[in-house]
Amino acid sequence: MKRRKEFDRGLEVGKGERTVFYEVFARRDSSEALWHVGSIQAPNDDLAQVRAWYIYDQHEWKEMNVVPTSAIVPITEANKSIKIKVA
Amino acid sequence: MNRFSEDSMSLESRAALVGNVLAVADSKLVLGNWYLKGVHNGRALPDFAALLAMSATSLGHTRALYKYLIGFGEDYSYLERGRGRGEIRSMNLLDAAPESWEDFLTTIYLAEQSTWMMMSGFLNAPDPALVGLAKKIGTESYFHLKYAAGWRSIFFEGKNETYREALSNKFPLALQWFGTDSEHDVLLDQGMRNVGLVELRKALLRQVLTDHDAPGFEWVSAAEAPTFGNDWDVDKRRAGELPEGLYEIVKFQDPAAVHD
Repeated sequence: MKRRKEFDRGLEVGKGERTVFYEVFARRDSSEALWHVGSIQAPNDDLAQVRAWYIYDQHEWKEMNVVPTSAIVPITEANKSIKIKVA
Repeated sequence: MNRFSEDSMSLESRAALVGNVLAVADSKLVLGNWYLKGVHNGRALPDFAALLAMSATSLGHTRALYKYLIGFGEDYSYLERGRGRGEIRSMNLLDAAPESWEDFLTTIYLAEQSTWMMMSGFLNAPDPALVGLAKKIGTESYFHLKYAAGWRSIFFEGKNETYREALSNKFPLALQWFGTDSEHDVLLDQGMRNVGLVELRKALLRQVLTDHDAPGFEWVSAAEAPTFGNDWDVDKRRAGELPEGLYEIVKFQDPAAVHD
């Protein structure tokens, strides 16, 4: 009988608690403001940077940054913002 | 302004430069195919995109380096599609298929770090075209190495024994690529690179040790003095021929065959 493959999530993709959302901001040159170009999910900052760099490659960006969604402080009235994902 | 001319180089140094550049280009050829084959092993959808992009940039490095060698009398189409497996000069590190995700990650990390070390030796070369290629490869390798770093921290976190074993097995092959201590480094003597192969190998050793200096990750490298068999070919920077199965995967298709 075939053994079912065991998948250790902690070993393979990091501890579950660590997988977080990041928001991605970029600009094409210094005259532009940073745009919010999308978001990315990753288990750590390094993978977030690489995944964002290769996913959002529609322009030749001069600058790109990722910000953990949890670091964003909402200004709009509490419970009034549109919740699109859980950070 | 002093313009660099390939003709100003001695025959010995031209041959050495072609050999070094081909060793990097062919290693990038195999590495690009490693990424391509690894795509469906990505652990998340963005990994698929990252692996495909890293494959494309690695194969782009290969082609750019082949094109650079046209200036040295090499035939581009022969370099790309005319060579048999005995003429491919990729590093032995990439010969065997990965046995696990951890093995895949440690091997691409070591291949990226080694090829970047080799190209970084040309950052102050008298040939601006070679300097430009080295800088471009360095810029793109930054993201490839960051990808490996992201996964490495996950392996550290899980105290991953498979990763430790893979690193211990593969690291000697990366160091071996830089050759023996007694190898005559004609490119250093002629000023084509300002850091010799022995120093580049030591720099690789230091970098790998630094990257693996993590709490709880116990790893002792026994690879400071890599061993060389009788089949070590100093010109190709590898031992033996490229395995037949790997050659069938990495060889560029003849465009006519693809389009018919």
